[in-house]
Formats: sequence, C-alpha cells, structure tokens
Amino acid sequence: MYSYIARRLAFGALTVVGVSIMVFVVMRILPGDPLVAIFGPEGMTKLTEEQRASYMSELGLSDPLWVQYLRWVKDILRGNFGQSFFRSESVADMILRRGPLTAEIALISVVLSWLVGIPVAIISALKPNTVIDSVVRFVSILFIAVPGFWVGMLIVLALLFWFGYRAPMAGVGFFTDPVGNLQLVIGPAVVLGLGQAAYIARMGRSSLLEVIREDYVRTARAKGLNNRLVIALHALPNALLPVITLSGVLLGLVLAGSIPVERAFGTPGLGYSMFQAVSERDVFVMQNLVFLYSVVFVMLNILVDLAIALLDPRIRLR
Amino acid sequence: MTTTANAAPPAPPTILGAIGRGISALFRRAPLSAFWGVIAALIVTMAVAAPLIAPYPPLKSDFRAMQKPPSEAHWFGTDQIGRDTLSRVIYGARSSLTVALGAVLFGTTVGALWGLACGYFGGRFDMASQRVIEFLQSFPDLILAMAIAMALGGGMATVIVAIAVTRIPFGGRVIRSVVLSLKEMQYVEAARGIGASHKRLMFRHILPQCVAPYLILATTHLGVAIVIEASLGFLGVGIPPPTPTWGNMLADSLNSGLVPPWWLVVFPGAAITVTVLAFNLLGDGIRDLLDPRLRGSV
Repeated sequence: MYSYIARRLAFGALTVVGVSIMVFVVMRILPGDPLVAIFGPEGMTKLTEEQRASYMSELGLSDPLWVQYLRWVKDILRGNFGQSFFRSESVADMILRRGPLTAEIALISVVLSWLVGIPVAIISALKPNTVIDSVVRFVSILFIAVPGFWVGMLIVLALLFWFGYRAPMAGVGFFTDPVGNLQLVIGPAVVLGLGQAAYIARMGRSSLLEVIREDYVRTARAKGLNNRLVIALHALPNALLPVITLSGVLLGLVLAGSIPVERAFGTPGLGYSMFQAVSERDVFVMQNLVFLYSVVFVMLNILVDLAIALLDPRIRLR
Repeated sequence: MTTTANAAPPAPPTILGAIGRGISALFRRAPLSAFWGVIAALIVTMAVAAPLIAPYPPLKSDFRAMQKPPSEAHWFGTDQIGRDTLSRVIYGARSSLTVALGAVLFGTTVGALWGLACGYFGGRFDMASQRVIEFLQSFPDLILAMAIAMALGGGMATVIVAIAVTRIPFGGRVIRSVVLSLKEMQYVEAARGIGASHKRLMFRHILPQCVAPYLILATTHLGVAIVIEASLGFLGVGIPPPTPTWGNMLADSLNSGLVPPWWLVVFPGAAITVTVLAFNLLGDGIRDLLDPRLRGSV
C-alpha cells in the first residue's frame, strides 16, 4: 500500500512538472509574440518600436525562454502568482478571495451528483428495460447534451421573470453570511451537479447491471438474504468502484464547467476571473490560473486513486 | 471458367455500398438512433443550405425592428441591432458544425496515427508518448481549449486546433490499445513472417482493423466538440462576432442590458442541445452497430 501511494505521488509530481512545461509552451511560446496576445493584433500595430521594447523588458520577456520558465516556477513556489494587467489586486489575493466560492460550488455539486445519480442508477438497474428505466436513460442522455451554462442562463431568466429574484452580486463567505453565500453558490452547484449526476446514473446503471450477474451475488441470494441487503451490501460496494473513478474524471467537468456557468450566473468565483482573464487577454493571470486548475485536477485525481486503493483490496495488495 | 462467366457478377464492394448497408442496419436495429440520425442529417443540411433556408442575411440589421420578440416576420425575434435570430441560428449551425467536424477529424486522426505508432513500435517512444498524453489529459478539456484558443488568437482555424488538441489523447489511447492486441494476431505475424515492411504491416494489415473504433470515437466526440465550441464562443475566445455562432450569440445576449430578452437565450441554446443530443444518440447507435460487444452496456 505504501509503495503504491509513493509511486502514485511520484507520478503526480512528474505530471505537475509536465503540466507546467505544457502551460508555459501554450501561453508563452505558442502566441509567438506575447505582446500580440496581450494587446491583440490590432493593438499591436499601434505600438511603436520603443514601446514594444520597453514592455518586453519590463515584463521580462526579452530573456531566454528557459530563464523565463525557471523564474515563473520560482515565483509560483514562493506563492507569488503575479499581478493582473488590468486590476490592482494580486492574483494570489484574487485566488484566496474567489477560490473558496468555486471550491464550495464544486463540493456541493459532487455531493449532489452522488445523491441524485446513485439512487437513480439503482432504480434503473433493478428494473432494466421498463418504462422508468427508459425515462431515466433518456433524461440522463438529455442532461449530458444540455450545456450547463445555457441552463444557468435559463434559470437566471426564469427566476427574474416569474419571481423578480436575482442572486446577490457581491461575494460573501459562508461563515460571515451563510444565507447570502448559499444564494450565490446554489445555482451553479445544482446545474453542475445534475450534469454530473447524468453521467453517474449511466455509469452506475451499467456497472450495477454487470455486478448483479456475478456469482457472489447469486450466492448471497441463494443463502436467503433479502434482495435489499444483497444490493446494498454485496452488489453496490463493487459497482461503485468505477463510479468513484468516473467521479474523479468528472471533476474536470466541474472545474472547467464552472467557468461558463459562473459567467451565466454572474457568480463572483474563480471561474468568473478565468472568464475575465480570457476576455481581457490577460496572459499572465491566465497562465497561472490554468496551471492552478490543472494542479488541482491532478491532485484530486490522485486522491481519487488513493481512495480506490483504500476501498479495493485488489489494488491495495498489488 | 464458363460457369463463373455466366453467373451474375457480384456487386463490387464499394465504400458507398458499405455505408448504405450500415445505414439500413442502423434503421433496423436501432430505430431511435436512426431517428436522431435523421435529425442530425437535417441539421447538417440546414448548415450546408443556410443561404437558401435563412429568411434574412445573418448580418443585416433592421433598425426598425430592434430587439423585437418573435413575430410572423421574425419567427425567433431579433437581437439588439435588429438582426434576425432565426437566420443567425441557421448560420450558426455552419460555424458550429464546421468547427466540431474539423476538430474531431483532425484530433482523432492525429491521435489515432500517434496511437498506431505507439502500439506498433512500443518501447521508449511509447513510454514517452504515454507521459505526454497523460500531461494533456491533466487539463480539463475546456481549460486547455481556452488556453490554446487565447494563445493563438481568435478565428475558426485556431478554434478547430484548440478543440482538436483536447481530442488527441482519446484517439491515442483507444487506437494504441487496439493496435497492441492486433499486433499479436496470427495474420500479422504471418505477414511479418513473409517479410512485410513496417510501413506495410502498419497501414495494410493493422490500420484497416482500426476503422471501427476510429468511427466510434469520432462520432461520440462530435457532441463534446460542439459543447466546447459553444462554451468557447460564450466565453469570448471562439469565432469572433459578427460571424454568428450559437456560443457567441448567447454571450451577445448578455450584453443587452441587465435582463437578456428570452428569445435571444432560448433559441441558440436549444439549437446546441438538439444538435448535441442528435449526434450523441447517433454515436451510440453507430457504436452498438460496429461493436456488438458493447451493445446495451452504457
């Protein structure tokens, strides 16, 4: 078990290094001229030669690329995420202020996806090919197809239209103002949660259908255990393993999905900052946020793998 | 000799014939998927024939009908500067489908060829490639696409590239595992035994067997690609306005004051949903058809 954890962590560290190189390549080398990325092609032509040179040296862009890369890594290790081009707040402060809101949305949505997805999967798998199963399957296919941010826009519109209600704009922490905070996060969390629930219901259904056919389930039934206990104690624990893995993959959907969804709801979370960074072409903020999101994604997936190892002796004892 | 000459010549196995047989099999075995396939075909037709179908030019402003709700003249209403929403939704299908098809074909093909090389050669090249693919998969799809689209600047080609890059790992992984098992097959061994070159083994003997998984991958990823394209448009890094895309129409609707008019929100989003639904269900049907082992499992 310990060697498994050590190996997984070492792989994780390697992945983070690889990801940092990839982010650097995409954000700094791909645009060719970073000033074009910052000012846009039209803005670029308005700059004089001297202005270009002074911006380049001011931003440290005239150094060799590997020097720039190492400086960026050093900054990040020190917790210095730089400064937005357009805002006075440092990126680190912005992350600390807005991050919790997005984390809260992600957490609630994952919990919600399990609370909705698993029961639906069980109902659907226990009565395969009935009306209720068909309805469940179609609804989950529909929920996978609907873009979350559009549902968000519709919810905002409907609440405004019928109830004249609009969620507060200001970001507040859960502990200072729980009611205001929940009004902010509940919309995005529900939209993202139901999107994941659809995937979980699909995966849970097929995995449960497979497990139910196994010999040990038949044995449990044969020894006279009632059906509810067979499902709850014998089938479900094994059927849930692939669902847990899927849930880890879906975290990517939540992290990325929260960007347009937060924009749709106007939620002042980190996803909204990402949207702002992208629309303002704020390369340096974007670079750090992309890196942060990927590292969080990698770490969460390591946690999921370790959870699986803990739950599944076949992996734990390997 | 004479007997064969008298017998009716069997129809030559053409690609068109294969497609025709596939379509009729789809209708017989998976009518629901076939129904959605028809809808997908209609959407594609709508995109191709946009200039013939659209009642107005998509960029023409009518300043006497600005931000008007749906009416007889404008079925889906008009936007802030009096452009017809229905026409823009129809033209939006063009950009969305071009980007999605281009990205999926490009990304899956690159991934598949890479996976073919990885699976066939193995060794260090494979090891290194698997690490790179892992790095690529450490980014949530949309975030990687956003970063690339932003880095390369707006435009259709960059959006296609941005989405294609996020599709590469899937093609790479799936085709690699298929190739790994094919490589051990006896007919491949036989071909190697009679001295076939690497090139011939890869492209004549192994690649044709990868067509089914390739098609399955491509169709199942179309829907994802459409959603990513719409999200990019919504976030302002997709195809830039005034070219209508469903994503940038939704983004545009938020710019019309505090409350977006409902028709500017409902119709483009519904177009995305129906299109993604159609392609996903068609993809499911094609997967079931081409890979009977998976039938009914998901």
